[in-house]
Amino acid sequence: MNRRYELVYVASPEATDDQLAELHGQIDAIVQRMGGTLEKTEHWGRRKLAYVIGHHKEGNYVLDVIIGSGELLKEIDRRLKVIDLVIRHLVVRVDEHERVVEHTRTRRTETSRRRRLARGLPPERQPGEGQRSEFDDDRDESEQDGRFDREDAR
Amino acid sequence: MNGRRSAGGSGGGGRGRGGAQTQQGKEGGRRPMFRRRKVCRFCAEKIDDINYKDIKLLMSFVPERAKIMPRRISGTCAMHQRKLRTAIMRARQIALIAYTSE
Repeated sequence: MNRRYELVYVASPEATDDQLAELHGQIDAIVQRMGGTLEKTEHWGRRKLAYVIGHHKEGNYVLDVIIGSGELLKEIDRRLKVIDLVIRHLVVRVDEHERVVEHTRTRRTETSRRRRLARGLPPERQPGEGQRSEFDDDRDESEQDGRFDREDAR
Repeated sequence: MNGRRSAGGSGGGGRGRGGAQTQQGKEGGRRPMFRRRKVCRFCAEKIDDINYKDIKLLMSFVPERAKIMPRRISGTCAMHQRKLRTAIMRARQIALIAYTSE
């Protein structure tokens, strides 16, 4: 049973690039060995921690998206607990969550299209249409930009 | 956000306004009470995905003391408050959001 997981780990700020690469290699090796796939890796880089963890105030954040079994992630979890270089890690199963998000999103667009068609309107919202446009228009440019940024990020 | 206020006048949730005027009359010298109707931000802005990595969004529901903003203040609906809570708790585990701040 292959599921999708996200693994976020925080490596110590003193870790060198080589050490980080080695750590990544170790995780990759476990994933390969236990028949999973490492879908993508994102380096968030050095970030300030929201609270102090073992005298560290900063950390190197890395996000891995892994497809594999629960045993695989259990093994990774066990290994990361042992490695001292990793000061914090988190494993989250995401496939189910993504499915729910996708479902609500499509259902909403579908109902809105259906209702609009039933009212004899074009299926897509036109620019300058009542209600929500009123809400949209009087926000200034910077606020609108901010919102789009966030939507892109997701 | 300003739009909400003007929209309220034209129709929508008139509850707050009507009440405010009568209260002003009764209470005499007190400042008139304008209570904006609270709306769940996730419903209003159609945010489907409440993700633990989206700190910018989560931080708007975590005031200074680093506690999760209660529903009675933020106006978030029950479903979204639950999702928000799990997201914030996950973000806290990996030190993206603080548990407390003294």
